[in-house]
Amino acid sequence: MQSNTLIDEITHLRDEFELTTNKLIKDIKRHDKIMARTDRDQLRELKKLEARLQEVEELQQSQKELLDSFIKLIASAIDAKSKYTGGHCERVPELSLMIAKKASESNEGIFKDFSIDTEDQQRELSIAAWLHDCGKVVTPEYVVDKATKLETIYNRIHEIRTRFEVIHRDKTIEALNKKLNGENATEVDKWLENEHKQLQEEYAIVANANIGAEFMKDEDIQQLKHIASKTWIRNFDDTLGLAHEEKKRVLQENSTTPQIEYLLSDKIRHIIPREYFDYEQYEKMGFKTKVPEHLYNLGELYNICTKAGTLSYEERFKIQEHVQMTIIMLEKLPFPEYLKNVPLYAGAHHETLIGTGYPRELTIDDMPIASRIMAIADVFEALTASDRPYKEPKTLSASIRILSFMVKDQHLDKDIFKLFLSSGLYKEYATKYLKPEQIDEVDISQYLKL
Amino acid sequence: MDNLHIEETKYTPEILLNTDGTISLTGKSYPENTFEFYAPMIEWIKQYFTTSPATTTTVNMEITYFNSSSSKLFFDFFDILEEHSENNDITINWIYDEENESALEAGEDFIEDFEDLNINLVEK
Repeated sequence: MQSNTLIDEITHLRDEFELTTNKLIKDIKRHDKIMARTDRDQLRELKKLEARLQEVEELQQSQKELLDSFIKLIASAIDAKSKYTGGHCERVPELSLMIAKKASESNEGIFKDFSIDTEDQQRELSIAAWLHDCGKVVTPEYVVDKATKLETIYNRIHEIRTRFEVIHRDKTIEALNKKLNGENATEVDKWLENEHKQLQEEYAIVANANIGAEFMKDEDIQQLKHIASKTWIRNFDDTLGLAHEEKKRVLQENSTTPQIEYLLSDKIRHIIPREYFDYEQYEKMGFKTKVPEHLYNLGELYNICTKAGTLSYEERFKIQEHVQMTIIMLEKLPFPEYLKNVPLYAGAHHETLIGTGYPRELTIDDMPIASRIMAIADVFEALTASDRPYKEPKTLSASIRILSFMVKDQHLDKDIFKLFLSSGLYKEYATKYLKPEQIDEVDISQYLKL
Repeated sequence: MDNLHIEETKYTPEILLNTDGTISLTGKSYPENTFEFYAPMIEWIKQYFTTSPATTTTVNMEITYFNSSSSKLFFDFFDILEEHSENNDITINWIYDEENESALEAGEDFIEDFEDLNINLVEK
């Protein structure tokens, strides 16, 4: 009986053992299946991920290309809008990158810690250079505001010359009247000859001042004011034929006729008021350039008395405003981390090393080397460009001489200037972009001593 | 006994266990702890068969993605079903998407392993 129980127990245990063994074997087999399937799954997932990664990379690349095309679109719009800039936006990035690469290779002086080796760094500088003038998109052109058929960018010397002609005839009439009144004909003729001669001389003075090639001394200005005080009689209503805006300004003056007019005058109508200027935003952006009270002052005497160059204070500000616009526009763009310096680089190309530039009056410590490189590229391109209708292209040696003056004045960086010369980059650029007749010998040794 | 309903989450399926014999699992299966997650289901199904099973039991499984411990758990689940297949009319519908190779392969593994269970592969 006992042995039977024992046998039963053993049989039972054996059955249980068999069952467990079978279950184990089954589990192992299932495990293998699961592993094999998981492996296949993983491979499939990996392939899918790889395909997606490739897709993402392709998308990134096409986005980059799209961004580049947009940048070039904006730049070419600026170049196309104004014949005054020509291919400027295209050549400045090229020249900037050429200089930056050389600066990167150099380990001397300020270039010790400067490097622009990675594709991203070069892209950052290139984009900044492509967009450095993008603010010019909003620089006004007279066409946009043209209000009457005859309104144009007009050299008012022609109008003033006409007034000289009027006075010339007035004098002739005065002489004839004198003769009619029985004055001595010979003396009257002598008087008239003298008056006419004086008018010719005075007109030549005004015409010469108009060109703005020479610096105006105080006595020159006194002389112009004296000439300007000559009078003529206006018999026609000068409020006719005007568009609304101009008429509003003119109606503030006394326009009854006949009216004694000055040969050159500063009138209420010449003041274009500055409206809608956000001074708070201006300060917040860190712009320091003093804002002129008026938008424009078209005064004849005011403009002819401009001491240097042809731009009035207001017009100079308007031109300089393009960098402010560049900064405002670029700071609005959500640049990725590796392009975060684009607004800084692009917005500092008119700064100097000593706080006399614009718009933020930065000094050397606030100006990254990349910005200083762009500043030189900007000036050099502008000097040597042969596609500007308003000026003859300068020779290579003359352009470099001007650069050297700007270096002496600490407007441009001395080390970058020297690198530009010693590396032979100036020649390389000249060969590529200058006309053969512009390229002359440059004695760089005198500049390397600076 | 009561029905059991477990809500779907981002990584776990919706589970419906009804005493009328309809059972369904729908969704993904990546629980942090698979055996803990499915413990209530396993408990329920054991109790279901030992207390008052319906005469027919239909299991609809539409698990789109699942980890390997879920695979293991489904084997265990089917083991329980197989144990009771003699006394209960059990049908398992393994529903998979045409493009989901992995789900199809799993379904094929289940058929191979459970000769006594009526497992249908249902392409969506």
